[in-house]
Amino acid sequence: MEFFATSLLNGLSFGMILFLIAAGLSIIVGVMGIINLSHGALYMLGGYFGWMIAQRLGLNFWLAVFIGGLVAGLVGLFIERAFLRRLYKQMNEQVLLTFGFVYIITNICLWVWGGDAKVPFWDPALSGSFNLAGLLYPKTRIIVIAIGTVLAVFLWWLQNKTRVGAIIRAGMDDREMVTGLGINLARVSMLIFFLAAFIAGFAGVIGAQLWGVYSYQGLQTLLFALIIIIVGGIGSIQGALAGALIIGIVDAFGRALFPQLSMFFMFLVMIIILIAKPSGLLGRKI
Amino acid sequence: MEKDKWEGIRRLWQGRLGQFAPFIIVGLILLTIPHFAHADIQLMMAKSLAFATFAMGYNLVFGYTGLLSLGHGVYFGAGGYAVALLQYHLHIYSFWMAMPLAVAVSMLLAAILGPIVLRSTGMYFLLLTFAFGELFYSIAWQTKFMGVLSVAGQIAVRGIPGIVYPDVIPGIELTSTTFYYFIFTGFVICYILLYRITNSPFGHALVGIRESEPRMQALGYHTWRYKYIALIVSAGFSGVGGAMFAWNNAMIDPSHFAVGTSFLPMVMSIIGGSTTLFGPAIGAVIVTFVEYLASITIRARWPLILGGIFVVSVMFARAGIGVYLARLWEKVRVRYGNTKS
Repeated sequence: MEFFATSLLNGLSFGMILFLIAAGLSIIVGVMGIINLSHGALYMLGGYFGWMIAQRLGLNFWLAVFIGGLVAGLVGLFIERAFLRRLYKQMNEQVLLTFGFVYIITNICLWVWGGDAKVPFWDPALSGSFNLAGLLYPKTRIIVIAIGTVLAVFLWWLQNKTRVGAIIRAGMDDREMVTGLGINLARVSMLIFFLAAFIAGFAGVIGAQLWGVYSYQGLQTLLFALIIIIVGGIGSIQGALAGALIIGIVDAFGRALFPQLSMFFMFLVMIIILIAKPSGLLGRKI
Repeated sequence: MEKDKWEGIRRLWQGRLGQFAPFIIVGLILLTIPHFAHADIQLMMAKSLAFATFAMGYNLVFGYTGLLSLGHGVYFGAGGYAVALLQYHLHIYSFWMAMPLAVAVSMLLAAILGPIVLRSTGMYFLLLTFAFGELFYSIAWQTKFMGVLSVAGQIAVRGIPGIVYPDVIPGIELTSTTFYYFIFTGFVICYILLYRITNSPFGHALVGIRESEPRMQALGYHTWRYKYIALIVSAGFSGVGGAMFAWNNAMIDPSHFAVGTSFLPMVMSIIGGSTTLFGPAIGAVIVTFVEYLASITIRARWPLILGGIFVVSVMFARAGIGVYLARLWEKVRVRYGNTKS
């Protein structure tokens, strides 16, 4: 029973970090139709900046989270403004360009911060454990679950209940009509891209408690994000959340039961779901 | 009198000779330079031909069929590993065993993965092929069968070192020069095969699928089957490229399955021109040459340069250098062919 509960909590907190990683990508891919392969690299960039502020400078952890998000957001904004804006609806070019940025960001991080991995870190105020009905569980993990839930609700609200969300959904369906109605779609796209990149960098600092920060993290993280949006389906927050939780829980149990086969369960789930439903669990056709 | 003498040559120039002259010139350059060059240059040129084969095979799916695959590293790695494992486990060095095995393994993998990845289209196809590349990467990392674990600095690397040149003719050992000519022959054979494939009805059907799949379906083509066969054929050429690369590089590691390898033929195709057959080969030569220059000057910053190449090729060279060159040659031919007055 205790094994089951611990694994479930591990899966939930892991899944929530995965959700933080995939949420931004899911928004960009689903809403703007842009494949941003540099998403994982932005996550890593956020992680490095967070590490610098929280560990090297010893400042507040939540400040580090904010700065990490901000830096990633600004870099993302730069990529969108300077390059991706001109590659609207050209998938091949988007893919190649953003993967180029994976190389560029990764190599610059390696240059600046060196090749040795940074050890995991978190808010020192949260280093204890909660007592959940006799089960001791680290506070930071519980906080991660809370943050993930809040973010999921926020993004769902943003996409489905606000004017900005309505504009984005309309822009996805008929760009010309939306522009013709006098709405500045470019500015809304900018905002969304910044938000998604911000979430990536933010997740980079939050997720550093699990993996630390290391120089080839960009690709690893991208892979997680891609598996999740494949499983959950492109284009909805609910899909990303479902995919992240399924993968997180499957991985936690897989890791606990068969430690040597760690990554394979993720792929297994992905392949099974794709054979059953090629557009993902909650995906819509794009 | 004089006019008649030139007339024949002009005819020749406007016909077959003009068409093939660039190939003959490039062929002569590729044949003569390595003979006088340093072994390093020979190695680099052989590598560029291996990647050229890979990129041309990849382009059958990417440029001709219009499927954006990020998983061709799987087939490239499979070809390389087939050759390497044969040497490593069974100590078989014969070319005549290794090459068919490399091709067969790559094509078999494509035949198995094809039905899964081809269920999806567009974005999902891309993501799925990407994920499969990473799956093979992690398999190659974690299985003992796939080579020895060695520690370089802080990072442990699993891979198969010490791959030697194959035995092509029993009793004759290949040197770096003869190996280069051997690779060159392989490249030419692959080029001719791909030329025949892309100019066949099958190749034209692939282009039709790229332009409009619903229309091809309406015309009665079984498009899924065409895409599946294109993927398998392309995987075969990727496997050949992988095997050539493994011999040339003398070492293969799991990263050759992964997305970093899969992106190379894509960037080569785009730089060189994905709508032409020889474009990817030109791209391969350019990328390998820049990599060589980087490796003798600023090795640690090569990924930065490579990323820069990606960005520049997308923003400024989207039509592809190969297309420009073909147009330029056409101009030269018209200019110097039609001067009769």
